[in-house]
Amino acid sequence: MTLLTIILLACITFFSRYLFLHPKLPIRIGAKITHFLSFSAPAVLTAIWVPIIFIKDNSFNSSFSNPYLLSATVAVITAYKSKSVYLTLGTSLSVFVLLRLAPI
Amino acid sequence: MAFNRKQAYIKMIQKGIMAMLPLNLAVLPWGILCGSLAIQRDFTVLEAILMPMLVFAGSVQLVVIELINDNVPLATILFTTFIISSRHLLYGLALRDKLKDLPFKWRGSLGFLLTDELFALSGKKRAYQGKLKLVYALAAGGSFYLCWLLWNIIGIVAGSYLPDLTSIGLDFAIAVTFIALVIPSVTNLAMLVTVVVAGLLSVLFKLLNWELGLVIASLIAMYSGYLTAKKQNALNIVNNKKAKIKL
Repeated sequence: MTLLTIILLACITFFSRYLFLHPKLPIRIGAKITHFLSFSAPAVLTAIWVPIIFIKDNSFNSSFSNPYLLSATVAVITAYKSKSVYLTLGTSLSVFVLLRLAPI
Repeated sequence: MAFNRKQAYIKMIQKGIMAMLPLNLAVLPWGILCGSLAIQRDFTVLEAILMPMLVFAGSVQLVVIELINDNVPLATILFTTFIISSRHLLYGLALRDKLKDLPFKWRGSLGFLLTDELFALSGKKRAYQGKLKLVYALAAGGSFYLCWLLWNIIGIVAGSYLPDLTSIGLDFAIAVTFIALVIPSVTNLAMLVTVVVAGLLSVLFKLLNWELGLVIASLIAMYSGYLTAKKQNALNIVNNKKAKIKL
């Protein structure tokens, strides 16, 4: 039963990724839509990461004793200044682990 | 000549893997979590391996493992999966013009590999243009697939020895990777508006427990960014006209 469920799940995830790549689909994307879609990556990725930082157990947590918030602040600043994925990961993960080991 | 071509492909494969490497590492805890959770929730080893191998979607795996364990009806599980996956419809739409005319082997394979992470690397104007860029994308996406599978397998093997990992903050690595990818792209007001709106609305919708919150927040944010860019363009045109009149 679980096997069948897993195969159906695989169909759904593939379908959602592949659908609009299919050439026979009768849609044409004009210049306006293309411009609109150019904002999709920052929009979706941000909508994924911001709740991870601010929401814990279904409630809003913006206090500075929240290790997620402090480490994410470090990450945003590092990413803005350095534009380096590695440096951003390195500094903010270090801060995060330190805060976990020795909470403020 | 043939030799040069081969070298160019190898170079592109290396570049693709290197570009994806930080993301491959960032999802290590997440993958271990998915694998170990499946085992702890009484999946067989085969079922636990098929999840990353076929479904290949972290958030779907995590949610569905719990749902299956709670004996939730199949229709609910499938619907929830579709809702969580629906953001990928946007990715396909955004890449449609670049990929739709390619042979199925490229569309199918890149489509299968089109995760948040691969899409995050697809923002460049010339992404997917020409065979070399396709090889690059395939190497990036493929390396992510293999790592995801490997991290899950580690979780499956270690699963019964690990404590319940769901509550120790493993998701931070994902958040940071996305921060590292998004923030450098905020180079103008329209992008800033997009990111701020997406952030505010996603938190709000999540607190309201809206299943579709992620996609709706994204769509509104995209439209806000689009409108801002349009307003700015219009303003620029007016200013340019004024400047010309003064001349």
